[in-house]
Amino acid sequence: MKTSHLAIISSLVALCVATNYALVGVPNVKVMDFIVFVGGFCFGITAGALVGILSWTVYGVLNPYGFVPQIWLATMFSESIYGVVGGLLGKNFASTDFHDQRVRLIIFFAATGFILTMVYDVITNIVYAWTLNIPVITTMAVGAPFTVLHEISNTQIFGIGSAMMVTAIRKIFQGERFGISSK
Amino acid sequence: MAFLQNKWALAALVIFCWASATSFTAGYYYYHYNDLLAKVSGITIHVNLGINYGDNTPTQWFNGTEAKMGMTLLNVTMLVANVNYTPYAGLGAFLESINNKNNSYPHYWMWWMWTSWGGWIEGPIACDKYVVGDGETLFWYYEDTSISPLPKPPP
Repeated sequence: MKTSHLAIISSLVALCVATNYALVGVPNVKVMDFIVFVGGFCFGITAGALVGILSWTVYGVLNPYGFVPQIWLATMFSESIYGVVGGLLGKNFASTDFHDQRVRLIIFFAATGFILTMVYDVITNIVYAWTLNIPVITTMAVGAPFTVLHEISNTQIFGIGSAMMVTAIRKIFQGERFGISSK
Repeated sequence: MAFLQNKWALAALVIFCWASATSFTAGYYYYHYNDLLAKVSGITIHVNLGINYGDNTPTQWFNGTEAKMGMTLLNVTMLVANVNYTPYAGLGAFLESINNKNNSYPHYWMWWMWTSWGGWIEGPIACDKYVVGDGETLFWYYEDTSISPLPKPPP
């Protein structure tokens, strides 16, 4: 792995952890998922997955809500889903011009944010239920407001931010090939 | 990306997200409804129940019938009358007779509920699915169902 890659991954991890602590008082509204997704989208699957895992490595251990190893592992690896899917989409969108279809991109990224968040929440809820020996359905039902809040906030963040952020990163790294998806 | 050009695919994505969010929300309320029902079950409540046989005899009123929270209209009716019914899977109980007055086309036992906002409202679900509340006024009316709209209970 190149030094430049490591620098980018470290910066994104730092950004994730910092925003998570900044938003610690707002349960389930986080910018981390979006950063991990954009990290994967622009810098590839490995980078995205690493950003997710490393962010949770720090935030999960020094977490104001407490530390449960099983849940920590689940969140750590579930978080990487954002980066992996971001990486896969980044490959497919490499030749897409973001200026031509802003509305469609907003809808697409918003829906992507929603679906990824739902997958993340379902996985972590299942692990939470197994860990604490609670019926999975009950866990899902009781946690639904948090799930929906997480999904709606990520839908908005992904929808509004993705195209802008990717365009900005493409401009910043123009000419330099950091494995960034570009035309 | 070709996917973005397909507006129906995007619409399907949006509908999927909406359906998922509402399903989670519905699951949450369903859980809490059952939880609340289980917690308050057994508390004594009082229900006003009227039965009209549709034959010009005055309505029989069972005001202040003592019931338990969590009971359905069918349970309460069985407290004050002799009832026959047929259960239909998924739909609920279909009342066949009250005190030996049997359904006979086009006359059937229909139930009504009194509301402050709309007077008598036709029972929206099967009588064994409707959980009665304290102080509620409900009515069984043996009526001609070939008339549309259905005649409301007599005063």
